[in-house]
Amino acid sequence: MKSKTTNAINISILLMILIGILIYIKVYNKPFANISESKPNVSIESKELIDSFFNNENEANSKFLEQIIQVRGLITEITSGKNGNNIITLGDKNAIGGVTCHLSSEESTKTNNLKIGQQINIKGICTGYLLDVILVKCVIIE
Amino acid sequence: MKSIYILLFTLLFSAISFGQGKFLTKQGYTSFFSATPIEDIKAENNQVLSIIDTSTGTIAISILIKSFMFEKSLMQEHFNENYLESDKYPKAIFKGQILDFDSVNENENPVTIVGDITIHGVTKKIETKGIISKKEDNIILNGDFIVKVADFEIEIPSVVSNNIAESIKVTYELDHKPYKK
Repeated sequence: MKSKTTNAINISILLMILIGILIYIKVYNKPFANISESKPNVSIESKELIDSFFNNENEANSKFLEQIIQVRGLITEITSGKNGNNIITLGDKNAIGGVTCHLSSEESTKTNNLKIGQQINIKGICTGYLLDVILVKCVIIE
Repeated sequence: MKSIYILLFTLLFSAISFGQGKFLTKQGYTSFFSATPIEDIKAENNQVLSIIDTSTGTIAISILIKSFMFEKSLMQEHFNENYLESDKYPKAIFKGQILDFDSVNENENPVTIVGDITIHGVTKKIETKGIISKKEDNIILNGDFIVKVADFEIEIPSVVSNNIAESIKVTYELDHKPYKK
């Protein structure tokens, strides 16, 4: 009789440990947010986004950092980064600051038809403000 | 006669603007690497802002902490929220001087860089060696150095202290273009 209960206890402890390990693996391997399938937290014009950072960086940081932002604006530059991924800059040609959108590698193949001066919607994660507002892991909406 | 003056003026002006001025990159690369027997952790950042003033050899670098991309999202989360506290300290900054800057040419020359590095709100003096070269119009600066986590008051909980190295290797590749405007 006694050995039966110890067995049951042993099995349940083993089960708990197993479940714990599974949860740990799941949390440890938690995937990154899928930008193309996520709804943006903020939808904004490029000029408005640049102005908010330019006027009050701290306030803009607390509002926009790590958020998925959909930004609309005119393309001022299309370049390619060191890692081969393309970078689209949005903004006003005559202004100093812009929004640099670092495309993901899959999206980098979609820039061939894009032209300077064209209006575009891009979605990405905001990481902050240097000379430009920076969005990473960007996808092109249209 | 007039055209000669214009020619001279243009030559002089272009000579000045070529030799002296600001060189800039907004897409500089930096990465750091932590190696322990348990796991290796690497993060990369392709949004480094670096500006070199060639008339003085000064260099200023700004790095967004949240721009470091990790292999696993949990690592990135812990790095930002618990260790670097990137909401409180969103940027790492270096301001300094490239010594013997005058010797910059097409060859890859070693240079010494001295200055102040600020990470996690803590500023430290640093002296490090880099490789500088001029390719076409660009000034390229590459190198690496070691950062001690404890020097910057970054607290690693004892639970994960075996997973994160005490000394982190930082690598950088900065390809500066002449700044026009």
